[in-house]
Formats: sequence, structure tokens, C-alpha cells
Amino acid sequence: MRAPIGFRISNRRKSLKISQAALARLVGISPSYLNLIENNKRDIGGALLNRVAAQLNIDIDELAGRTEQKLLQDLEEAFADPMIESLPFRPDERRELVAQYPASAAALATLHRAYSSATANAEAYADRLRSDPLLGQLLHQILSGITAVRSSAEILEDVTDLDEAERRRFLAAIGRDARTLSDVARNLIGQFETSSRSRRSGSPAREIDDLIIEQQNHFPLLEQAAEALRLEIEQSGPFGIATLTGLLQSKFGVDVAVGGPAPDPEFPGQYRFEPASRIMWFQGASTLATRQFQLARLYGELAAAEQIAHVLESAILSTPTARRLAARAAGSYLAGAIVFPYERMLQDSEESAYDIDHLRQIYHASFEQVAHRLVTLRRPGAEGIPFGFLRSDPAGRLTKHFPLPGLLLPNSGHACPLWAIYGAFRTPDALLRQVVRFSDGSRYLFVARTVQRRPGSFREQPVLSSVMLACDVLHADRTIYGSGLDLADLSADIPVGPSCRLCTRRNCASRQEEALSPGGGRAETRAPLLPSDFALGDPA
Amino acid sequence: MAIDILIAEDEPSILESLDFILRRAGWTISAVTDGEAALEAVRRLRPRVLVLDVMLPKRSGFEVLKQIRADPELHALRVLILTAKGQQQDRRIAEEFGADVFVTKPYANAEVVSAVRQLLGRDGRAA
Repeated sequence: MRAPIGFRISNRRKSLKISQAALARLVGISPSYLNLIENNKRDIGGALLNRVAAQLNIDIDELAGRTEQKLLQDLEEAFADPMIESLPFRPDERRELVAQYPASAAALATLHRAYSSATANAEAYADRLRSDPLLGQLLHQILSGITAVRSSAEILEDVTDLDEAERRRFLAAIGRDARTLSDVARNLIGQFETSSRSRRSGSPAREIDDLIIEQQNHFPLLEQAAEALRLEIEQSGPFGIATLTGLLQSKFGVDVAVGGPAPDPEFPGQYRFEPASRIMWFQGASTLATRQFQLARLYGELAAAEQIAHVLESAILSTPTARRLAARAAGSYLAGAIVFPYERMLQDSEESAYDIDHLRQIYHASFEQVAHRLVTLRRPGAEGIPFGFLRSDPAGRLTKHFPLPGLLLPNSGHACPLWAIYGAFRTPDALLRQVVRFSDGSRYLFVARTVQRRPGSFREQPVLSSVMLACDVLHADRTIYGSGLDLADLSADIPVGPSCRLCTRRNCASRQEEALSPGGGRAETRAPLLPSDFALGDPA
Repeated sequence: MAIDILIAEDEPSILESLDFILRRAGWTISAVTDGEAALEAVRRLRPRVLVLDVMLPKRSGFEVLKQIRADPELHALRVLILTAKGQQQDRRIAEEFGADVFVTKPYANAEVVSAVRQLLGRDGRAA
């Protein structure tokens, strides 16, 4: 659909203050014929259109409306917005608007674009806020307050035969709730001030989190790519190290070397790909699980570079570091999806009640690889149990994290010292499970275990990490880790928080830091290990 | 003693007005303020309908619902879940665990009354 050319000729002519008769004379037609053209009752094209464009000193594309196509499309989109689509637009209104008032049309289209992107942003922020426990709690209080006020007000309004005592009771309730709401609002404002301050220091890790949260730990594009690659691999042999090695050589000219000197003696590590020499080097003691996974990753990264790039394109990654880390994360995802094909993995997981050790046996994989893959079983219509994932170094610092809606897994820094992820360090290589309860009453099953990279020499320090999976206690009975536990027995719950800063359990003996108290002034920490209820000198 | 409706809600003001409007609609009411007490009270009082808030202390509304549905003596109980606006996730979970009706906070009193009336209307528990 095109804006009528006649309007544009007429507009341009008027803006140049040329009369219809004068223009008709200049291009060699009768004024009445020009009049018909300007009213869109006659077509115009070819030489005559060229002459008109020349006389009006305007680009023929512009006059023919080709530059307006995009604007018209944008307007179509704006007018189709559910918010305004029911307005009584005339059939030709958009075209006329574009032709007669191009600047206004452009303004409308621009505003609609800005509005759409603002709405999308607001939704993204709302998602973000929903995963923030403090805000979640405050919003819950607000909602409760409003519900109570509304309900009481309706009673006062609608119930005509209220006696005086009842009337006073509901009025008092409204007053009480209004005061509570004011306090909550003040807290909320305090919280926003704190959030906006911390927001400015958006880290690369945070940006990748945003990407992962937005995708809910599931990337259909990478899943599809992985499925195709897995098929391809299995066509040249049984899935495993040998076949992957052969394929890397035949398709990409990559040689795999196990053992021998590290290509970079400064940074030995477990494996290393040297793009220049096309050599994938593995430390001789590296596990078969590591080799299989990293070969799958390399194969995926080389064979599905386009899909990885596409996934990254859709994300807001503002720094090269963020882009590099995100590419790495996408590569790991792809490798996981190749090693553990979706449908088979889901079925094996369900059948084994999410027994990670059993799944390791089936897929020749490491604990962390299996745990990571379980988190991504979020395909709509074929979902596994929703899990969150955390990894910590021995210093307690969180080094990897996949969120679980509802549960606050800190982005970085430290989690609650009571969590199984830290307890697992006390009994290396043994799985630790615990049922925890947060102060809002929500309960989760935590399962954690240490994982270790093999050192290449006595001089190298072993690198130990702890990996934890978390799921809502509601799903715990579907996992092998819920077996033997009385999940209904609340007295066995371990009371925990998200992290000391975000935890409201004031008297917790494990508290290391004061809780953040937005708007309410910050409590002074007198002695770092003393609960603040204790008086100075209390022998705690 | 059998009652019509058990309310499980921890916000005192909401509880007070719920109690008032449902009583006024002609039903017998009892109320509890945490999930633990809710489970105990459904067993003891045998209500025809449970009005269940999601965010309850001690035991969440979902846990209460899950246990009710798993208990052969209770599983037929009609349950109305009070969810918060915007919490789609809550709604999905409640559906999964077999809630009969949802009312979203902040609600109009009439919504709650008509939802309860609907549940009591098709109550076949006597059979």
C-alpha cells in the first residue's frame, strides 16, 4: 500500500507556493488534468512524473513514495496496537497522514517505537524485580495492604446496616493499613535508591545473567543446533572421544593431543585449543568426561559459530569481556546439549529420579556437566524439574550461577554460610543434601558436592569447587535426593537466608554481616560476629 | 463440628474483612493464620471450602494444597486459592497441584463471595 502520489505533488507544490496553473504550464499539461492527478483520480508515471519532480525540485523516489513505504509500515504497526486499534480510523487515514503530514506521521511512528521499547524494558525490569526477594517482599506487603484497604472500604460503602462498632472497626483497619502502606512505600523508595546506585555498576557477569534469565536457562536455537550436530556425529561413529577426535580432524583439521608439555607453560590448565596450530591439547591426567565435553564444545563452536553468534546478537552485551564470557557460556551450553541430547536426557532423568551419579554413568560425564544440563531442561511442554545452579570456590566466592525463579541465588560474592554448597567442602566428593527454609517460609531442597580438577604435578594446588543444585521442596519427592527424607517435617528444615546482607534472621549465629535495611538507616555493626540483640560485653 | 468455610490467611485486616463478608453471605466460618494450622483445621473441622492464601507462614499455601490432594480423606475438598496479581508462576503451580478456583489480590469482595458460592453450589461432597 502506498501513500497517494497526488497528495505529495499537491503538498510539495503548495509548499513551494506555485499555483496549480503555473505547474501545469511548466510540465506541459492542462490545469484540469493536473487537478485530477493531485486528487488521485489519474495515475501519473514515466516522463511526466520526471518533469513534475524536476519542476518541484524533489527526488523522484520521494515523490513516488518509495521512501514513505517504511513510514507507512511503521504506522500500520502503530495503528494495529491493541491499545488503539478500535479507534474509528478511516480506511485511508494512514496513507493520507503519511502523504499530507509526513512529519506528524513520522512522529507517531517514532513515538510508537519508543513506547514499544519502553514497554519491553518495563517488562524486563518487572522480571528482574520479581526475582529480587526484598522488593518481592515489599511488593507483597503493598499488595496485601491494598487488598485489605479495598476490602474494608467496600464493606463500609456497600453494607448499609453496619452497626457503629463494626463501622469503627473497619475504619480503624483502613487507618492501620494506610499507615503500614506508607512505611512500606518509604522502604520501597529507599530500596530503589540503593538499587539504582548498584545498577550503575553493571558487570559482565550481570549482563550474562540478564541474558540467561530472559531465556529462562533454555536456548532453543542452540538445542536445535546441538541436535543436528549430534546426529552428524553419530553418523560417523558412536558418540564419544574417538568419533569427535576423528571428526575434528576430518572437518576442521584439528589435531587432538593428550599429555605432553602444555602449549602455554604459564597457564597449564586441563585443556587448551591453539587456533594457530590447530591443536587441542589435554593434560594427560584430565578425565575422560572433561575430554569428551571439551571436544564436543570445540566441535560445536566450530560447526555452529553462526547460531552462537545469533544467540549473542539478541543480548545486550556492552563490553568485549561480556561478549567473550557469553560466547563461552553459549559454547558450554551447546556442548551440554550435544553430550546430553534433550529428549533422552529428560527421559533418563525422570526415570532415574534425577540421580546425578546414575546420569554420569550413562553419559560418561562429570557431576558439574550433568548438573548444568539439568538446569536447561526447560523446553516448553517438555520440562524437567526446575533447578537453580550455583558453583563456589573454596573461598566461598560464587563463580557460576543459573537462577531459579523465586529463589534468590546471589549473583556473586557469598551466599548464606549455612548452605550445602559450603557444607560440601567438609566432606569432599560426597553428596550433601539439605532441606532449607527461608524466612518468608519458602522451602527448597539443596544438593551439593565438590568437584575437582586433576593437578598435573605435586607442585600444582588442586582446584576444588563445590556445585549445588536447588529445587523447590514441592518437587523434591520426584528426586532421588528426597527419598528417605520426611519432607513434611518442618522441624528438620535448616533455617537459612539468601546472604547475610539480604537476610532478615537477626539472631542467626552464623551472621557475618549486618542486614541491609533500606530507608530504615543502617545498623552499625559493633562487633562483626555478635548478633545485634546482644548487649556489649555479652558473653556470646 | 462441620463448617462451611475455612479461611487460611495471615494478614489480619484481610482476614477480618474476608470473615465479615463470608459470614454476611450466610456461611459458617473458621479461620487460621498459618499453613500448619490450616492442615490441622481441615482435618478437624471438615470445611466444605478452603480459602487458601499462597503466602502463609510455616507452610506455604502450595504445600498445604499438595498435602490435601495427597490425602485420600481430604483430596475432594474444594480449594479457592488467593494469588497475587502478576504471579503467573504461582497460578501455574496452583493449577498443577489441583486448585479449584483462583481469586487474584487485590480483589473485589463480590469476587470472593461469588467464587465461594460457585464452589459450594457444585459441592458433591455429601455423596
